[in-house]
Amino acid sequence: MTQLSFLPTLPFPASPLALFGLLLLAGVIGGELVRRALRLPRIVGYVLVGLALGTSGLNWLDGALLREAWIFVDIALGLILFELGRRLDFAWLGREPWLAATAVLESALSFAFVFLALLYFGVQPLYAAIAASIAIATAPAVVLVAAQEIKAEGQVTERALNLTAMNSVIAFVSSTMLLAWLHHEYRANWAIVVLHPVYLLAGSALLGYLASIAAMTLARWLGRTERGHLVVSLGLIAVTVAAARMFELSVVLALLAFGTLSKNLDRRHDLLPVDVGWIGQLFVVVLFVVSGASLNAAEFATGGTLALIYVLARFAGKSLGVMSLTYFSGVRRGAAGLLCLALTPMSGTAVGMVHRTGQLYPDFGAKLAAIVLSAVLILELVGPVAVQFALRRAGEAAEDK
Amino acid sequence: MNSAETEFRPSASCTMGVELELQILNSRDYNLARDAADLLELLGRTGHPGAVKPEITESMIELNSSIHVAHEPLVQELGRIRDAVARAAERLNLRIAGGGSHPFHQWGERRIYPTERFRHILDVYGYLAKQFTIFGQHVHLGCPSGDEAIFLTHLLARYVPHFIALSASSPFQQGEDTSYQSSRLNTVSAFPLSGQIPFVHSWSEFLDYFEKMRGYGIVESMKDFYWDIRPKPEYGTVEIRVFDTPLTVERAAALAAYAQALARHLLTDRPRAPSREVYLLYNYNRFQACRYGLGGTLIDADGGRHVPLKEHVLETLARVAPHAAEVGGAAALKALEAGVRDGTGDAEWLRRAYKARGTLNDVARMQSELWMGLTRPAAR
Repeated sequence: MTQLSFLPTLPFPASPLALFGLLLLAGVIGGELVRRALRLPRIVGYVLVGLALGTSGLNWLDGALLREAWIFVDIALGLILFELGRRLDFAWLGREPWLAATAVLESALSFAFVFLALLYFGVQPLYAAIAASIAIATAPAVVLVAAQEIKAEGQVTERALNLTAMNSVIAFVSSTMLLAWLHHEYRANWAIVVLHPVYLLAGSALLGYLASIAAMTLARWLGRTERGHLVVSLGLIAVTVAAARMFELSVVLALLAFGTLSKNLDRRHDLLPVDVGWIGQLFVVVLFVVSGASLNAAEFATGGTLALIYVLARFAGKSLGVMSLTYFSGVRRGAAGLLCLALTPMSGTAVGMVHRTGQLYPDFGAKLAAIVLSAVLILELVGPVAVQFALRRAGEAAEDK
Repeated sequence: MNSAETEFRPSASCTMGVELELQILNSRDYNLARDAADLLELLGRTGHPGAVKPEITESMIELNSSIHVAHEPLVQELGRIRDAVARAAERLNLRIAGGGSHPFHQWGERRIYPTERFRHILDVYGYLAKQFTIFGQHVHLGCPSGDEAIFLTHLLARYVPHFIALSASSPFQQGEDTSYQSSRLNTVSAFPLSGQIPFVHSWSEFLDYFEKMRGYGIVESMKDFYWDIRPKPEYGTVEIRVFDTPLTVERAAALAAYAQALARHLLTDRPRAPSREVYLLYNYNRFQACRYGLGGTLIDADGGRHVPLKEHVLETLARVAPHAAEVGGAAALKALEAGVRDGTGDAEWLRRAYKARGTLNDVARMQSELWMGLTRPAAR
């Protein structure tokens, strides 16, 4: 047998590369089928493929494989959050203060509505509060990718993305603060209660800041080469995501900070506007397949009704917030309702927040997951449709060729 | 025949009005945006001086001044309209820029502004309608009668190279340096009804021509002629349309003052009669101005001598200076003259910006910052 040692031995070792390729292919096929058969956004197809392959379906993508795929999800999230951050323009928020005010109000109202609704249906206050704080966030990946798929551009698109960036930060800050409260409930000492949120917020912001300084410095040194700046951005995105994981910081906050500071601190316009979109598309497919696979349809059986209430209360809160302030902002009147629709998606970041809680307090995490992840399941499928409907209705999608 | 449209409504001689087509940019990479409708809606809601209108694609907006005699009130009014439009644009996170072309937009990405007329143009001209996302300044000059308007149109034709060279601000198109000072007019030339007015001698002769063309079904209204200079009977003006939109409203007002002084000279001094020779040389001279700007060479219709365009412009500026002084345009002409002597036009400014920064995104950004008054034109 020794002379045949050039032959591969069975079983094959797990290969992340093969996994990446297969997830990509499965996602693309699913996305295209959904688009052709149902005329729905491709994202819905990616998620459905994930659901079919994951624990809810064939169970080919189990926990171990999902962990292998996590690196691709991280890259996708990094690219998306960086891009979203680049669109958050502080000078604009200064000139159009109603937009920032809208973000604060719709965040507060979606928290309040979800919290009160869950309380009313007998959920304990602490669970309700943490679930409500997660409800504040709109999914950056879904809004950005759904908008890019139809090449949407305009006031509703831009405002939806800015509101998403802001409510993601607000959601993260408030859920972190509530986690501190949770620490206290579980009899942790006060130093942890105070230090953990401070560490998360300040650490993530500092990491983003350092990345943006590095980006601007390298860009200046490289000179005006678009390709060079693209590579620098990609490299720093990967390093920042890894560093955020390593230091137990927030990937969302660090990458948003990186993106937005690299735009807003760049007074001399050293960093060229780079388009990470087309590279992002590769990883985005895997991101949505994996997030579909990590959802458990069985949880829907236990959390289904509450999840429905959660979704409706969240939509009502966000809509009231957006509707009541859009009048004062510069955008046209008809845009308010469309903005509400564009803010409905929920996904990866919410899953991340639930997992974070679950890691710290497993039984608490499980109870939370039943409600929140069932809501995510609904919104992963409805969200992309709502976003594209809103942006098409707003006349901001590119013409179909 | 609809006489209301072709009847020439007399207006006070040598009054002037300015229309400016402007670029709407996003603030991310300074490509053209598509927010004309939102911008117009916001301006309509908050109120603004002058008139603001949509143009052929959703990335454009047009400003109109009112009618002026003197330069100073014109520049003041344009400044006020600019400030109002700039403020509204900033609330929508948009930028507004002058310049005859956007340096790097791709015409295929443009969308037609949804009105019946613009959709009709897309229907008739196909892709040319989207390529028409170029930005010009139109100057209206008041005329007391239709016959005077025809006379003025013919005499101004000789100075078309001046207008092109002085306003040239479209060296870049579709991401490339075109090597032209004004590449915008090449796009206009693609339209079958572009060009010049036929050599008619009176308003009634002109109307005969118009009716004939309408009879053939070639045109429906005067608007269908995309001539470099055309009479505009409903305003009682002659409209010069070869200017690229300059980088600032100050330069736009100065160019209008030059056209006004020139018209005043031509209508009061009557230096010569309309001549066919001008039209023989027309396309050559026009090309020289587009390609080389003030560095081009003009063939003079009187005697056929070759003259550097720069020299011809300086001579003419001196000749019409007294007329400018009569209507309060002397300072504007002085400023233009200084620019001609230094060779610091808008096309040079744009090329210098590109050389300094190395990307057209930055050129578009600086163009918008200059127009909106966020930076002073220090690079000049």
